[in-house]
Amino acid sequence: MPGDQELFDAVLQADRDRVIAAVRAGVDGGTPVSSLLMDCMVPAMREIGDRFAAGELFIPEMLFAARAMQAGLDIVEPLLGDSDHGSLGRVAVGTVKGDMHDIGKNLVVMMLKGGGYRVTDLGVDCSLETYEAAVAEGSTVLCCSALLTSTMTYMKQVVGRFQKDPAVKVIVGGAPVTRAFAEDIGADGFAEHASEATRVVSACLAGSAPAR
Amino acid sequence: MSGEGDGAMERLYAERLARYTTAMRNGRPDMVPIRPFVAEFTARHAGFTCQEVTHDYDKAFEAARRCAVDFDWDAVVSNMVYVWTGLTQAMGLRYYGVPGIDVPPDVGFQYLEPGDDGAFMRADEYDELIADPTAFLYNVWLPRVSSEVMQPGEASSYRGNLALVKGAMAMMQYFGAFGTQNARLRCESGTVSAIAGIFKAPFDILADKLRGYVGLCMDMCEQPSKVLEACEALMPHLYHVAKTTADPLQQVPIGYWMHRGCVPFVSPDQFASHYWPTVRPIIEELWRHGHQTLFYAEGDWKHHLESFRELPDQSIVYHVDQADVFDVHERLGDKFCLSGGIPNFLLAHRPASEVRDFCKKVIDVVAADGGYIMDASAIMQHDTRGENLAAMTECTREYGVYSGGTSSPPATPIVAEGSLSAHGGSATRPGQCVEWAKKAASLPVLEGDADLVEEVWNNIDSLGNVFIWQWLLSF
Ligand code: B12
Repeated sequence: MPGDQELFDAVLQADRDRVIAAVRAGVDGGTPVSSLLMDCMVPAMREIGDRFAAGELFIPEMLFAARAMQAGLDIVEPLLGDSDHGSLGRVAVGTVKGDMHDIGKNLVVMMLKGGGYRVTDLGVDCSLETYEAAVAEGSTVLCCSALLTSTMTYMKQVVGRFQKDPAVKVIVGGAPVTRAFAEDIGADGFAEHASEATRVVSACLAGSAPAR
Repeated sequence: MSGEGDGAMERLYAERLARYTTAMRNGRPDMVPIRPFVAEFTARHAGFTCQEVTHDYDKAFEAARRCAVDFDWDAVVSNMVYVWTGLTQAMGLRYYGVPGIDVPPDVGFQYLEPGDDGAFMRADEYDELIADPTAFLYNVWLPRVSSEVMQPGEASSYRGNLALVKGAMAMMQYFGAFGTQNARLRCESGTVSAIAGIFKAPFDILADKLRGYVGLCMDMCEQPSKVLEACEALMPHLYHVAKTTADPLQQVPIGYWMHRGCVPFVSPDQFASHYWPTVRPIIEELWRHGHQTLFYAEGDWKHHLESFRELPDQSIVYHVDQADVFDVHERLGDKFCLSGGIPNFLLAHRPASEVRDFCKKVIDVVAADGGYIMDASAIMQHDTRGENLAAMTECTREYGVYSGGTSSPPATPIVAEGSLSAHGGSATRPGQCVEWAKKAASLPVLEGDADLVEEVWNNIDSLGNVFIWQWLLSF
């Protein structure tokens, strides 16, 4: 992590003020913003995701880390050129129609942001039109979350809608969603935990096999 | 109620009650009891929309009774579509999405949690809550959750006054109707009303209805001792609600809806410092009074099963949602009866044969020695398939018969008064709103039977308490 252990630590410890200070110092000191993002913040978020998956961190800590990271991103993002993180791709994340649960979806948003992706948070209760609009704005990966057995079937409609468009991938998740269900409806990817979302998205973008 | 022809139905009821209560005391009844928590499924089965059962509780009750007649179930909740629009409309309650008004007519009602910026209690209001929870609910919380009720100090309004009158009358009417519903379940289908009374953890009350989950997470970081104090202040009141709404015959358990007190919503340390110490004494005291509590453990509480083992044998019935029911059986089965564990995904989206296979496995392993009640993991909404519930029912009747099972009436534990019945430090005693002492001070010296005057005052005053705490816990 060239140069900025401080930024890495600050994100990891969810210290918002220190993140802001470290990003400002980095920018002022001439560190390329892409490096602040990819070499400091992204690895810190990966570490946080791994610790969450390992049961060493919990949702409250994840929320705080997300806030700290967001404060840093707010400074970094306007300074990033398209080539800086545009190359990773644009991802849209939303909870499907009829479903208002967003705690898990927010964790996915945060992990993907922390993975260096450009993320559009579509919020909850997302209809096909919402996902279509996200694609029209350049998202190539759609992440759908559902917490109710009555709404998870909507994911099938989302998958169906974009089936004929090879450029668009649909990834599904949420407590009742299983790998078997994801395969059944023909989703391009599935993950049990938010922390795996970046891996699944990157596999999708690399054009790898469906639902693994 | 028991005329000539009703004898058979009454016998069926008695048989089912014995089966259900024996299993709940972790015993081995004649067969595995079936107690499905069917919510919007009842509407689907009876041919009603979600809008109809939410707006018209007679239809909701009818739908529940229809299920009880059509399926061979031992116990059901008298109305699991518990929100009645009459109540929410009367008060202009802000936190429900209602079918036909806020959500489409065929979507179930839903609780909408405000974000941390719109929380019903602010981060700097802990002291006020702690000093007098009941007064806080009336003065601060109610005007915020209602579009009609005015804040103290604001000019009173026609609509505001009406809301309180209509809200209170609607609650009386609705609660009163449950008595008839339970009697009809008993004599029309011999079905037991599965639970009585309500409990929620102080920590969950703070997250669900006061600070919001995200707000509470911030508080746990910035002012954890205030959160603990607030949990402690809520304890005697929540105990009082549970105790006074429980089954006086001590047959069926108090429903305890467990939301976000487990890992990963909290850390193991937070569970140990805040959640559990402010729940455990209440469960123990309820048990001292002979009341079992049904732990409806939403999500997966696998990290906390050891803590639950601290509770006395049989004091709870443990309901399994997303956890692995076989694992929970290994870790808790010797102490407590378990229920649930049949994935809603199977019941809603897979063929009946898969439901049968899974149920059979659960019966073979988890129910092997008794102490198991057949049910889905989570409450069943209108996506549940009737044929799959039929498969669950038939499979249980086919494989769930015990040889040499008993149906011993549950033993009644010793009753001893504990500390929770006491004041708990808050300005208003649990169960009251305006203390008699305060009222008496404004009266002339009483003549004749002064105790009678006090008794009537206290009884009527306690209705004001029921009103506000029921809003907080049940709706
Ligand atoms: C919190 C909660 C609520 C809150 C939601 C607040 C909010 N802002 O989200 C409130 C109170 C509003 C609520 C309302 C309701 N709820 Co609710 N709720 C829950 C609860 C307690 C926790 C859900 C949660 O946040 N889990 C934590 C997160 C982190 O987990 P997660 O979302 O699965 O996410 C993880 C992974 O799945 C993954 N992930 C998630 N999404 C995605 C997406 C992708 C692409 C990927 C890769 C990964 C991924 O990442 C996360 C971290 O690893 C559960 C029970 C429980 N304990 O699980 C019930 C539960 C989900 N609710 C339920 C119900 C029935 C309801 C209501 C209908 C109740 C009612 N009648 O009011 C309403 C419905 C509202 C609606 N239309 O959505 C039922 C569902 C039953 C069923 N048949 O499916 C449950 C299971 C409770 C139960 N046992 O009955 N609920």
